[in-house]
Amino acid sequence: MSSTLLIGSDNKDVRDFGATLDAELLALPPVSDKGGWDWAAELETWRDRENSGQQFSRIVVAAWAEHLTAGPAIGLDPRGWESRAEQPLARWAVALGCAVSRCAGGGSIVAVVEGPTALECAGWAPETAVAEGVRALTRSLALSEGARGVRVNTVSTPARFPLVELVHPAPPLATFPGRLDHEVAGAVRMLLSPDAVGVTGGIVHADAGRAWR
Amino acid sequence: MAIKAVSSLVVIVTGASGGVGRGIALACAALGHTVWIAARREAEGTAVAEEVNAAGGRGRFVACDTADESSVRDAIAAVLARDGRLDAVVHNATSGESPKPVPLQTLPLADFRSHVGVSLGGSWLLACAAHKALRESRGHFVLLTSEAGFEGKRLLPAYAAVKAAQRGFARALAREWGADGITVNSVAPLAMTPAMDRAFVMDPAMEKRVKSRIPIGRVGDPVGDIGPVVAALLSPGMGYLTGNTLMVDGGSCPIS
Repeated sequence: MSSTLLIGSDNKDVRDFGATLDAELLALPPVSDKGGWDWAAELETWRDRENSGQQFSRIVVAAWAEHLTAGPAIGLDPRGWESRAEQPLARWAVALGCAVSRCAGGGSIVAVVEGPTALECAGWAPETAVAEGVRALTRSLALSEGARGVRVNTVSTPARFPLVELVHPAPPLATFPGRLDHEVAGAVRMLLSPDAVGVTGGIVHADAGRAWR
Repeated sequence: MAIKAVSSLVVIVTGASGGVGRGIALACAALGHTVWIAARREAEGTAVAEEVNAAGGRGRFVACDTADESSVRDAIAAVLARDGRLDAVVHNATSGESPKPVPLQTLPLADFRSHVGVSLGGSWLLACAAHKALRESRGHFVLLTSEAGFEGKRLLPAYAAVKAAQRGFARALAREWGADGITVNSVAPLAMTPAMDRAFVMDPAMEKRVKSRIPIGRVGDPVGDIGPVVAALLSPGMGYLTGNTLMVDGGSCPIS
């Protein structure tokens, strides 16, 4: 059995990413097309069931969206806003809460958050908001879980985002935006490994140098 | 080019019935602005509107629940119906759940919905309702965030998440609205507010922790320390500042 648990959306990108990491997938409920937070009860039921169970020393969280489509923030209708901003942020909150519950003392949690880079975030306001929210969640968890030796870090990647327009200057590395199974998985392995024993609350941008802080 | 003198603006401030929102309203009043106090609590909001009048501005109250689409739309419509223009939106309102410590593992999603709806959803609803008017005035859109949105909060993960999310939203919106001449910024204050008072009561050790890390040596005053910075953001000469988060925290936050 794998010693790494991947808590994530049940889509091809997440499954492939889990295979790259040799991780066991704990799938979140499917993304819902319901509005008015009618999907929240299903998420809570899932959490009530999954928060207890086998403990892991290495947990990766990837509550990635099913589809990514750009558009102006004020062009969205309420259902569109909820599906691009509110439901994703809630799914991340539940997934990270589960990760904390399932992480053994001394373990490591890495959230792999998808977000556009700062220069290319026009048209991606909901996704940019969610990505920042996830980074603050992981920092909060680094603070709360440090007492039991659990490290919590974030890897940030724009790899799944269709590039609307590359803003100049180009990123330092020609490999931008990076690949999930290469640059992103490598950053995750680094943070999961004992070599990163002193790293928590950090954000590693696996983005070919696009973000410089 | 010389910076023009401040002329009277029409400003709406959400969550302005107390705390930081009141401080912003009074700072704008001191510059002679018309300040709409957008809040759910009418009695408290009307009282602040009267303080605005006394401080040299024109205070008006409008009922507004920033988590409610029609309420936000109606509030902006009320401003435009009476004053004919809107120069700035300052979104300060936060959920009543903000100071309640709840671990992420057991966070009720109804509580999280309140956090998200008021802060993040409210940011989006205000943006939708005010964009046309702000484009006409080449105005300003300001979101009140928090240092929690940078460094997280051990006991308040949901609050930290939505404050960070607002900052991300503002960053993207600044890029979307730049061509319209609208600036979009965030302000991260650290101030003594009723919410902070409640948080200190719930976690008595928090007060010492908070104060010990502020180089300036005190927790900010909403009227004297926070309001003037936000009012300055709305002033002529600030049209080239966008996509930023201003930390108004006495130097407390180690991340900038």
